[in-house]
Amino acid sequence: MSDPQPITPAVSVENLTKVFRGALGRKPFVAVRDVSLTVREGEVYGLIGPNGCGKSTTMKTVLGLLAPTRGRTFVFGRSSTEVASRQAVGFLPENPYFYKHLNGLETLLFYGRLCGLGGAELRDRAREMLALTGLEDAADRRVAGYSKGMLQRLGLAQALLHRPRLVVLDEPTAGVDPAGSRKIRDLILGFRGQGITVLVTSHLLEQMQEVCDRVGIMAHGRMMREGRVDELIAVENQTELVLEDATPELLAEIRALVERQGGARLVRTGQPRTTLEKLFLEATEETN
Amino acid sequence: MNHAAFSPARVWTLAAATVTQLVRMKILVFLLLFCAVVVAAGFAFPVLNPEHQLKLLKDVSFGALQIFSLVIGIVATALLLPRDLEDRTLYTILSKPVPRHEYLLGKLLGVLALIGAGLLVMDAAFSLVLWLREKLLLAQILAGLKAQTPEAVAQVQELVGKQGLTWNLHLGVLAVFLKAAVVTALALMVSCFASSTLFTVVVTFCIVIIGHGQGLLREYFLQGKMEPFVEKGLSALLAVLTPDLGVFDVIDNVVNGQVVGPGSAGYMTGIALTYITGYMVVSHLLFVEKEL
Amino acid sequence: MKRPLQALLVLLLLGTLKLPLEQAATAHLRAEKLLTPRVDLGLRENLGQMGFAASLGGLRSLVASITYLRACGAWENVRWGAVDSLFQLTTRLQPRYTHYWDEAAWHMAWNASSHYLNNEKLNPALREKLSYEHVLRGRDILLEGLRMIPDDARLWHTLAELYERRDIQPAKAAECYLKVGELTGNLRFRRLAGYQYAKAADRALQLKGYELLMESYRANQRPPSLINTIKDLELALSIPAMLRIPEARVAPGAVR
Repeated sequence: MSDPQPITPAVSVENLTKVFRGALGRKPFVAVRDVSLTVREGEVYGLIGPNGCGKSTTMKTVLGLLAPTRGRTFVFGRSSTEVASRQAVGFLPENPYFYKHLNGLETLLFYGRLCGLGGAELRDRAREMLALTGLEDAADRRVAGYSKGMLQRLGLAQALLHRPRLVVLDEPTAGVDPAGSRKIRDLILGFRGQGITVLVTSHLLEQMQEVCDRVGIMAHGRMMREGRVDELIAVENQTELVLEDATPELLAEIRALVERQGGARLVRTGQPRTTLEKLFLEATEETN
Repeated sequence: MNHAAFSPARVWTLAAATVTQLVRMKILVFLLLFCAVVVAAGFAFPVLNPEHQLKLLKDVSFGALQIFSLVIGIVATALLLPRDLEDRTLYTILSKPVPRHEYLLGKLLGVLALIGAGLLVMDAAFSLVLWLREKLLLAQILAGLKAQTPEAVAQVQELVGKQGLTWNLHLGVLAVFLKAAVVTALALMVSCFASSTLFTVVVTFCIVIIGHGQGLLREYFLQGKMEPFVEKGLSALLAVLTPDLGVFDVIDNVVNGQVVGPGSAGYMTGIALTYITGYMVVSHLLFVEKEL
Repeated sequence: MKRPLQALLVLLLLGTLKLPLEQAATAHLRAEKLLTPRVDLGLRENLGQMGFAASLGGLRSLVASITYLRACGAWENVRWGAVDSLFQLTTRLQPRYTHYWDEAAWHMAWNASSHYLNNEKLNPALREKLSYEHVLRGRDILLEGLRMIPDDARLWHTLAELYERRDIQPAKAAECYLKVGELTGNLRFRRLAGYQYAKAADRALQLKGYELLMESYRANQRPPSLINTIKDLELALSIPAMLRIPEARVAPGAVR
């Protein structure tokens, strides 16, 4: 990223600790312990970790849905406790639900009005979002009849409606088929192209690796690692070399060359494997 | 873009969504049922004396109005907030720049708008039937009268008119609405700390029952009629914690022709506003930092 | 933790501050006769739980309508006990509605009473006794109703008729008619009171009756029965000839 570093980060979490009071007779539960992180404007930040590691709690605190027990969270420099901090934020919850009695268009109009939009502008924008998420044909159908994937897409439309500067996605690929999840990946990359900051959680590491500029890895409520993706996953003393149509003779020569040089050591050779996800996508895209 | 701390437009959006939601839950069926009951009550008891027939029609209609408004006030409200929470619709709403008090206010106004509109429709239907019945009865009695002296006609008209349609009856409907509004605010408050719809309905219903006897407890307590400490303490606590819903029970006497003066209407409205404001403040305190 | 505490505090504060307001509103609405005095606590035993809840709520008149219709059903089936207890419920639920008291008393003092009197399956002594007891029951209902609505002319009128025709207590009937006259301002009821006093054995009461009847006479309201009763009283009370009315006694059956 060559953007100049902005002064106020899009999101900053400072020493956040969240303790849920136990119901009668139960022990309090510490969901997040002393977590700090910063999302710079314009970057895609992935918060990853297994289920129950505290990433959703952190995200909800950033959105002001939960109050921190200790520490503070800010969005574009405004405390999350201020309602105004949510003005430039679009949120896609995990498995979003909407009012079942509204149809797709009405749902978007409803959320648009809550963001202070209105009139012809809102109508146009809602139509535009429906087109973007491929829900044009379902616009007049009640949300009660939507499939999980359609709800997810409506959730996305709702999150983007008011042109937010920060998009928060909670497990956007959960329960979505690989083609859908590939689309979401492309969308996230698109956001980056438009300069929209993205904060995304997931427990599927591979996907995050492809789209995130930086990631934070959480476990048991703590931040275990944080940094740029390529830095985090690079094995610094190793180099990978992938050849196409190499003859056995060439390979033998390379091996001999390595041995002759000394110092370096050949760890393994073999055929790189495609991921099952890639294979699935290739196979399904061929039939289309 | 500046953010307004309070926006009537947002409250209106939330209220309108609430009304749409309730309307699409087929609440209108209840209104049709009401109209059927009123028409049946208007024409089903031909054996009774004429003046009493009109009274019966009013009793049945006002009873239905009360049941409608209280049931909607409790059940609809109890359905809204816990369901938004369970369905996680609340996440998407509150992650928009919507202050939580606006959300609560929107819900309250939505339910009140629905009850108000429902009562207006029912009031209109009931007024029409009552008016028709009154005219019909008058014609019947006058036809049966042997000597139609002006005094006799005037007497019959007065007798029937007393039980017939008057403006005062609409003030009775106002009292019904005010009571329902208080109960709605109460249900909203309960649902702010309740964990489920059922809990909200049961607790609110209990408070409503106690609320109708609150006057008794209050008077006993204030007049020092209770001796044992426990009894005294308990009745004081209940009197403090529950609203006096009996204040709004004027329709019995309105049906009998007692006039609701401006003072009485003022008292009822004032008390209702006091309760509603108080309950909304408490709701806000319970909801503002609620963990979602 | 702090917020719920604040909420409770506000609730208690509101609760305490509203008490005087509630007292004042109740007093005002009672004065305007928009609120009815409390239901007797004994009623709790009579009504089922739902009915009780409703009777405290605004559904009192609806429940009263239902118990009233059931009472009418009981009447059609000639179950006097049920008629009485159902009307008792009805009147307790709506103590300010004249019609319920009136009809309840009429059922007891007229219908039930006559029913027992004419019931040939019972022995004559029992018939008399039961019949009279129901007249008294009707009287008690009216007296109770008048405690609730003391200025109701219709109930006073029914009570007067009961004393006149069922209980045969002319003096009491006369007092009730006087009360009706007082409430309605209609001279006819003072005349009816006069007729009742005329039937009394006591001379002082007869004199009172005579005065009342003469009032009508002087107001030029002179139906034949008035003339005849005055003539009777003139004789009974030995009114001096110069004070007697000039009209002759009207033959029975003569047209007014």
